[in-house]
Amino acid sequence: MNIRLYTLSAFLYLSLCLNAQIDRTQQPKPGPAPEITLEKPVEFTLENGLKVLIVENHKLPRVSMNLAFDRTPILEGDKAGVSSILGAMLGNGTASITKDDFNEEIDFLGANLSFGFNGGFASCLTKYHERIIELLADATLNSLLTEEEFEKNKDLLLEGLKSQEKSVDAAAANVGSALSFGLSHPYGEIETEKSINNVTFDLVKTYYLNYFQPSQAYLVVLGDIDVASTKALVEKHFGPWQNTVSEKISIPKANANPVQLEINFVDMPNAVQSNISLTSNVELKMSDEDYHAVLIANKILGGGFNSYLNMNLREEHGYTYGARSSVAADKYITRFNAGTSVRNEVTDSAVVQTIKEIKRIQEYPVEEDALANAKAKYVGDFVLALERPSTVARYAINIKTNDLPENFYSEYLKKINAVTVADVQRVANKYFNAKNARFIVVGKGSDIIENLEKTGIPIKYFDKEANPVNKPEFKKPIPEGVTVKIIMDNYIDAIGGKKAVEDVKTVLTNVDVTIQGAPFKPTAVIKTMGPNKESMEMSVQGMGTIMKQVFNGKSGYTEQQGNKQDMPESEILKKQKQKGLFAETYLDPEELVLVSLISVNGVDAYKIQVDKDNGSFRYYNAETGLLIRTESAQEAQGQSITQLTDISDYKDIDGVLMPHTKVINAGPQIITFSASEIKINEGVSKKDFK
Amino acid sequence: MNKIILSFILLLITVGVFGQAKIEYIEYDLKNGMHVILHEDHSAPVVTTAVMYHVGAKDENPERTGFAHFFEHLLFEGTENIARGEWFTIVTSNGGSNNANTTDDRTYYYEVFPSNSVELGLWMESERLMHPIINQIGVDTQNEVVKEEKRLRVDNSPYGKFLESIKLHMFKKHPYKGTTIGKMAHLDAATLEEFKAFNKKYYVPNNAVLVVAGDIDVPAVKKMVEDYFGPIPRGEDIVRSFPQEEPITEPMREKAYDANIQIPAILAAYRTPSFKDRDAYILSMISTYLSDGKTSKLYKKMVDDKKMALQVGAFDYSQEDYGTYIIYGLPQGETELDDLVIEIDEEIVKIQNELISERDFQKIQNKLENSFVNSNSSIQGVANSLARYYMLYGDISLINNEIDIYRSIKREEIQQVARKYLNPNQRLILEYLPETDQE
Repeated sequence: MNIRLYTLSAFLYLSLCLNAQIDRTQQPKPGPAPEITLEKPVEFTLENGLKVLIVENHKLPRVSMNLAFDRTPILEGDKAGVSSILGAMLGNGTASITKDDFNEEIDFLGANLSFGFNGGFASCLTKYHERIIELLADATLNSLLTEEEFEKNKDLLLEGLKSQEKSVDAAAANVGSALSFGLSHPYGEIETEKSINNVTFDLVKTYYLNYFQPSQAYLVVLGDIDVASTKALVEKHFGPWQNTVSEKISIPKANANPVQLEINFVDMPNAVQSNISLTSNVELKMSDEDYHAVLIANKILGGGFNSYLNMNLREEHGYTYGARSSVAADKYITRFNAGTSVRNEVTDSAVVQTIKEIKRIQEYPVEEDALANAKAKYVGDFVLALERPSTVARYAINIKTNDLPENFYSEYLKKINAVTVADVQRVANKYFNAKNARFIVVGKGSDIIENLEKTGIPIKYFDKEANPVNKPEFKKPIPEGVTVKIIMDNYIDAIGGKKAVEDVKTVLTNVDVTIQGAPFKPTAVIKTMGPNKESMEMSVQGMGTIMKQVFNGKSGYTEQQGNKQDMPESEILKKQKQKGLFAETYLDPEELVLVSLISVNGVDAYKIQVDKDNGSFRYYNAETGLLIRTESAQEAQGQSITQLTDISDYKDIDGVLMPHTKVINAGPQIITFSASEIKINEGVSKKDFK
Repeated sequence: MNKIILSFILLLITVGVFGQAKIEYIEYDLKNGMHVILHEDHSAPVVTTAVMYHVGAKDENPERTGFAHFFEHLLFEGTENIARGEWFTIVTSNGGSNNANTTDDRTYYYEVFPSNSVELGLWMESERLMHPIINQIGVDTQNEVVKEEKRLRVDNSPYGKFLESIKLHMFKKHPYKGTTIGKMAHLDAATLEEFKAFNKKYYVPNNAVLVVAGDIDVPAVKKMVEDYFGPIPRGEDIVRSFPQEEPITEPMREKAYDANIQIPAILAAYRTPSFKDRDAYILSMISTYLSDGKTSKLYKKMVDDKKMALQVGAFDYSQEDYGTYIIYGLPQGETELDDLVIEIDEEIVKIQNELISERDFQKIQNKLENSFVNSNSSIQGVANSLARYYMLYGDISLINNEIDIYRSIKREEIQQVARKYLNPNQRLILEYLPETDQE
């Protein structure tokens, strides 16, 4: 009995354990939402207008101070770079402390202090904060500016520019804002070697005098401090800061968006990835009704890993390490941006997929799940941000500088949660303008431009400083040792070797001709005999011969519907230059020029100039050696038209590779010749050329 | 005399201060060998769940480099209970964020959630370890993504290949000679079976440490850890034996080329010991002395006063088995690369021949103290440090005590260490040049 009881209880225990076991096939549900408390910083304004915010946080024995200016954006114009130089000079000594002493003291205390044109930052251990706040104030009010430091920082800025010269991303960022906002807009102007060299020491001093105004500044002190003593410190050190009168600034209008989607291309031959971004100007302020809905819509489109853009370009296609979109709210103007970096070969595909995803969010309602997830992410980010004490101060400054209601952040999560499916679609159409937009593409033109052209989006070309340029010729470096002769010989070898080629005396070709847009399909018989005899007879079923063209070596004619015309002298001269059935057997390499290695229909090809006067070129596949294209200029109705003939579909005929397809592009006309049969040294006699 | 009193007072103050910043933690092992560390901090409603695996690029088959990093991608593809592509959706739809990273020594995964989702984080990490789905679709997708990452971070990035070039010459036998991202041809050639075998060998609980840090209820989390990780079977013990490097005794001089740069760089690299070694701490003090801050020796002289360099820096690239001490400079204007080396050497010789000044020594201590305080400022940062100190340093108490090691270092030791490691015949000089200069 006892034993049985024991077994039973063991059994019960076992089953209890089993019951207690978790079901890992089910995703755990979150517990009750944690309580969120938003602290408020202590705020006060000094008599000079400096607005001060103090946040106490005693978790770690450290203090940070942040001085930030809220100015109207400034256009630096042909002296762009002045604010950067000034920013770099600040924080290196004061009127009463030399540069070396100043920096030595900061370093000795293990503290950090840095400045830029838009403000200053300092951090240190609590035990040194009184001195550091004093140094920050001194550097703000009485910064030491010397000619020597000016020259040095100007040189550094110039060198920095040089070090970025080959950076695809730097060029993309510059050109993107310059083309969107305009080179003469504060958000669009670019610092160039020229503009930096225009900056004078006097101008730097003027900027310091005019733009460092306490009435435009915010100071945040944060950390292991108490409010009362910090307030006294701030008043003591920042109190003497005086406003000087500065002129009122007006902001120029930003560029208009383009009337239709266009690609703005910048060539950088060193690129292994293309930086692409679709961008258009929009107006969006934090205080706008739509602000929260735009945040959510952008999160869904490209605001995170599982957004439309990233899931398509990274996860589905593997084009990129990441794709994102953004619309940062701004008091004046901002832009919508959807961008990524992709390997060269898929640049055009990435362009197409980006447009597709933007259209998707505009044309189709977002799924409820995706909307809920996007909201959850914002809620989570809001909670996670609370870990950083600086969040509280940032919120307080945002409220002041962006004209937001006092309850903006306490209402924030409520507004986020109120966004609907319809809201997302509406704001996507309003703010994600992909019709009047530009694709900024920075990459290696020789690899990507051909395919980009196939997207049908008009392409404009720019240099790295956003100035328009003509379409460049995209070429690649020609490998060492490659010459015209080698390319010619390679061709002969590729099609069967010298002996086989010399044995070809006549060629008979039966072809099907397709003329784009024409309702009938002619066939033709083409006969050639070395060195330069040629005849072609074209016929259409049910109509008989419609055209015949013959050249017998000395003269020739064209016969069309009973109308016979002699070959003009100029044409005869041209034909007489032909010394064999294969140009490569008689052309003199010395007279030809190897122009470049370029991409033709996606393959690398050597471009050789045959005749300078009439602009004729031959293109050889760099890998296979085969001739893949000829180019010549033709006169037609007084105009010069470039005629491109693409040659392909090589097949072995009696030991010689003969192309079976030729596509002739002449202006708007496209004519395709496909050989149904080719015969060598068979079916051709001299009388065919009478 | 006054100085000594001052230092003594400073010391007293700092000791008091550090009582305040101490990181508390508890640790224990599960039956399957997994080590668990819990750290409770209720200052924000946030929790980090992190797992560090003791597997990095150095554990790879030399014919299959890039595996460790590839797993950092592959193990987000899905598990038996998390469908492919769902991982990131689950994280973001619960308001979290996540990431992972790989070094030559270890791989680290983490999620940060609002604290009500702590169980979710544990479930996800246990799923990843227990039964990830490794299939051809996932391998093929991540293969492309990794290639893009390499293009972005290495091939298209200015100075992106300098570490690779240094490691190539500094290590002849030890796997540190390769890169973490590995060779793309190796990844292309790898079979699904090879990936599965790698997972079976290294992704086992006895090769991992779990950290849960933040706004947690310790007894509840302990139970969840047991529920989710307890049933995962222990794996085979991992035996590591890496070839030892011969000491460097002859100077080396090499060139490397980068198509993305316009301004060349010169780098001097010295072999140094593991980061566990006391000497590594001393070398890191020497870095601070040479290049941290505007008044550090190299910066002040070469960038500020003589305007010879655009940038100059020194850092101990310290790893589990060896370190590489790297000093670099970018010339300004017409300065020759070799002139930068002369200036750098002058400062090193000074450290070797005379003691650094009391004031400079105190400056280094102040700087290290500042960075020590800041290193524990985010929960995720604390979680990472706890895992690292436990797994790689073998001493978790370093999270609170590392500063004591620095405090115990004497000026004489700085001199000795500089003499021991930083000699011209023990180093590589690498000219890092724009590609257009290549002949």
